Amino acid sequence: MPLGSFTESFGAAVSCLSTSHLTDEVIRRSKRMILDTLGVGLLGTSTPVFNTVLQCSQQALENSKVWGRPGLSLPPQYAAFVNGVAVHSMDFDDTWHPATHPSGAVLPAVLALAETLPVKPSGLELLLAFSVGIEVQGRLLRFSKEAHNIPKRFHPPAVVGVMGSAAATAKLLGLPAAQSIAALAIACSSAGAPMANAATQTKPLHMGNAARGGLEATQLALLGLEGNAQILDLESGFGAFYPDYVPHPLAEVTPTSRYRWVLEDQNIAQKRFPAHLGMHWVADAAIEARAKFLDKCPNADLSQIKKITLRVPTSRYVDCPLPVSEHQARHSFQFNCCTALLDGEVTVESFSKSQMIRSALKEMLLKVQLENPQDNHSSFEKMYCEIAVETTQGEMFTARCNTFYGHWRKPLSHVDLVRKFRANASTVLSAEVVEGIIYTVDHLDTNQDCSMLWSYMHFNKHMMDRNERRSSALA
Amino acid sequence: INVCTQRSTRYLSAISAARGLHKSALDVVERPAPEETVTSSFGRFIQSVQPRHLSPTVLQRSKRMVLDSIGVGLLGSTTDVFELALQHCQHMYAPDDVSFVYGRQGVKLSPTLAAFVNGVAAHSMDFDDTWHPATHPSGAVLPALLAISDMFHNNSKPSGLDFLTAFNVGIEIQGWLMRFSNEAHNIPKRFHPPSVVGTMGSAAACARLLSLDRNQCSNALAIAASLAGAPMANAATQSKPLHIGNASRLGLEAALLASRGLEASPLVLDAVPGVAGFSAFYEDYAPNPIASLEEHEHSFLIETQDIAFKRFPAHLGMHWIADAATVVHKTLVGLKGGSVSPNLVQEILLRVPLSKYINRPFPETEHQARHSFQFNACTALLDGEVTVQSFHTEALQRPELLALLSRVRVEHPHDNPANFNIMYGEVEVTLVSGDVLRGRCDTFYGHWRNPLSQESLQKKFRSNAGAVLSNERVERLIEAVEGLDHLDDCKPLLAQLQ
Repeated sequence: MPLGSFTESFGAAVSCLSTSHLTDEVIRRSKRMILDTLGVGLLGTSTPVFNTVLQCSQQALENSKVWGRPGLSLPPQYAAFVNGVAVHSMDFDDTWHPATHPSGAVLPAVLALAETLPVKPSGLELLLAFSVGIEVQGRLLRFSKEAHNIPKRFHPPAVVGVMGSAAATAKLLGLPAAQSIAALAIACSSAGAPMANAATQTKPLHMGNAARGGLEATQLALLGLEGNAQILDLESGFGAFYPDYVPHPLAEVTPTSRYRWVLEDQNIAQKRFPAHLGMHWVADAAIEARAKFLDKCPNADLSQIKKITLRVPTSRYVDCPLPVSEHQARHSFQFNCCTALLDGEVTVESFSKSQMIRSALKEMLLKVQLENPQDNHSSFEKMYCEIAVETTQGEMFTARCNTFYGHWRKPLSHVDLVRKFRANASTVLSAEVVEGIIYTVDHLDTNQDCSMLWSYMHFNKHMMDRNERRSSALA
Repeated sequence: INVCTQRSTRYLSAISAARGLHKSALDVVERPAPEETVTSSFGRFIQSVQPRHLSPTVLQRSKRMVLDSIGVGLLGSTTDVFELALQHCQHMYAPDDVSFVYGRQGVKLSPTLAAFVNGVAAHSMDFDDTWHPATHPSGAVLPALLAISDMFHNNSKPSGLDFLTAFNVGIEIQGWLMRFSNEAHNIPKRFHPPSVVGTMGSAAACARLLSLDRNQCSNALAIAASLAGAPMANAATQSKPLHIGNASRLGLEAALLASRGLEASPLVLDAVPGVAGFSAFYEDYAPNPIASLEEHEHSFLIETQDIAFKRFPAHLGMHWIADAATVVHKTLVGLKGGSVSPNLVQEILLRVPLSKYINRPFPETEHQARHSFQFNACTALLDGEVTVQSFHTEALQRPELLALLSRVRVEHPHDNPANFNIMYGEVEVTLVSGDVLRGRCDTFYGHWRNPLSQESLQKKFRSNAGAVLSNERVERLIEAVEGLDHLDDCKPLLAQLQ
């Protein structure tokens, strides 16, 4: 293929895809993703890391609303930044295959940008931009076999997320192909954060920076900045992030053709509790083993457990025998296993300080041993978790989870997805506003004016609007 | 309430918070240090290094670097890419912020954005300094430090020595990190070094100037690692200058976030199998801790490894080939001088190292021209020199130049590796008459082995800074930098840039 044609094909696709290419399934799935992401974002506005980045970002000229902070707006890329941090602050956001968290990098940027446009996009245009951002990520991930495994080197949202954000925001602005390519090229220079910061307080910033960097790249492209027009073709370009990079061009998009979206063939996982995806297999297996144990011995005391063996894939950054911070706990096979055994579930509360310091939990953690069977691949598509619980009485209870509830092979029901959203959003929003968002997202594809979406995100039942507070103080 | 004051107050509270923390850390009995990792050794170093650790050589060399960097930044403020980055930031943020912008008297931005645009200016023409192992260290560090200095209240600006200490910490950290990889010693292929180590250097320098405690310094580095890394493909494009701008800005952001308590991986610089930290950017990564200042005499790397300042705005590799071509030019024009006629030339052979991104037979933009062995060789052959003007559009399109370019062949001898410490440039011109003229350059004037004299460096500065500042300001800047280590506060330096 002639040099530059892969990148060209991306630029062309990004600018040619239109609302007519959105299928029902894509619309349905993206609405679910948007709803879920808004919910986890709202919940995340209560975290310390969110407060930190917010303080850091405040500037005088404000354009886009900060979620959960009535009266507070920031320039769009900083709004995208802090809201992106909120989405990933508790590792509660969606996960895809090949592995990344696609929505958190795209939605905050798209909403922040949409808010600043003199002519607001329709709901369908918003959905289109969002879908383009997801699609580009999915395509890029398929250029590398290594990307199909649980990552070891670069954190995927920081690699493909920023590209997705650039593509989505370029789409929203209706940039021509050449400028879309420029946006991708500029974004590429902001891509890449090492895995080592996973399981730390900085991890959420990977998402925030992906959203911000992509939006900024588009803004710079709009102003005429150019990068390497072959950025996706070159090993020294986007290929720098992979040892095995084999790019493919995107199919040509014509106004009347059907477009095959990655999201149609590959659904997404939405989490039931705020922890790394791998923890969900462990939790489901542990819950099953616990049920078997209590079934056999209804009044059993869980301290009768002598030894717990977990058979999981090798993944260094989620192997944490004695987590100290909440971030570590969300990335600990051992912690999630013991919480599930003790409580029969893992919830938002499980990662609170008071729950984490329970002595019963700490004692149980000491009994856990990890094994990494050869047939347990480090891939969210193939992995499983097997648990074997041995009691002091000499009994053994085992369970195995191949596909947890919420995985793309077994997606959350609409009822459960909405329930998760309600639980998250109502920590910050009143019931009325919560229902308003559910309704708006549900009708996104038919709504001409979706500006109420970011208005709804701007409430907080615990806070007065900053402007209201000032005027009432002066009164 | 004056909006400007409000904003200054907000920035100041970040600094006073950081300083307050530092003071209280001194009051508390220090806990015994945990088993030291490479990462924590860096954090400790940044926090504990003092002005007295700076030797005279280090002082002298760093002042030269500061001078040159300001100059190229001021010149760079006349470029399109700079204008673009500035408009971008001004659209986004209020016009009455606190930190100065090169070449725009009275214009202010927030400190991070000022660091960004000034960093872009510094690298906009590839005129800034280059080190070994390869990176452009000063452009990533200086803009951030200047931006922070503007943040401090007028009565508590850092002293010249504090400033120089922070600057050197930023340079030093970059040098240390590059020595963790053999791959880093060669002309880069994968990630653009300023975007990798430059971000870390900026974070370190800012952490130092903000007087963060050692844990905060380590966190600043770790946060910065998640902001590092831009692929080489954007070199030789208009986006390349943003690599330095972003390195400066993001390093500053990392330090500010760390000062507010954000934490990141305590092992980011260590080599942990299965979880990449800073090692993600290299194929071969073998880190070493920095020895404690209490137990060892610390020798700054700049002391033993000097830096190269460029004589014209192009990739460092171009300087060898330009000097080699100039030799041939002088032979051709003899005593009468003047320019060379392309009609005399049959063929031009260049013997240069193998490096794809600087091998461009027919560059179309100024950015490509700055990264083209062929272009720089032919320009030097024609004119006897390469200058700032050589990259203007009219110069790029000269028919005589294009005629020469079409006669160039390139060879990559085995003994000419892509390494700024070892490479050479050779030009062999076969004339129509049959004569063959040769020129070779092993060490160009400006290379660390043959550094620019103080006069040459100041001449470059005057020419650059004079493009946007009055002569008076230019001279005052030279004076201020020259006496930086004796200034009680760096106001004299900042005043000329406002």
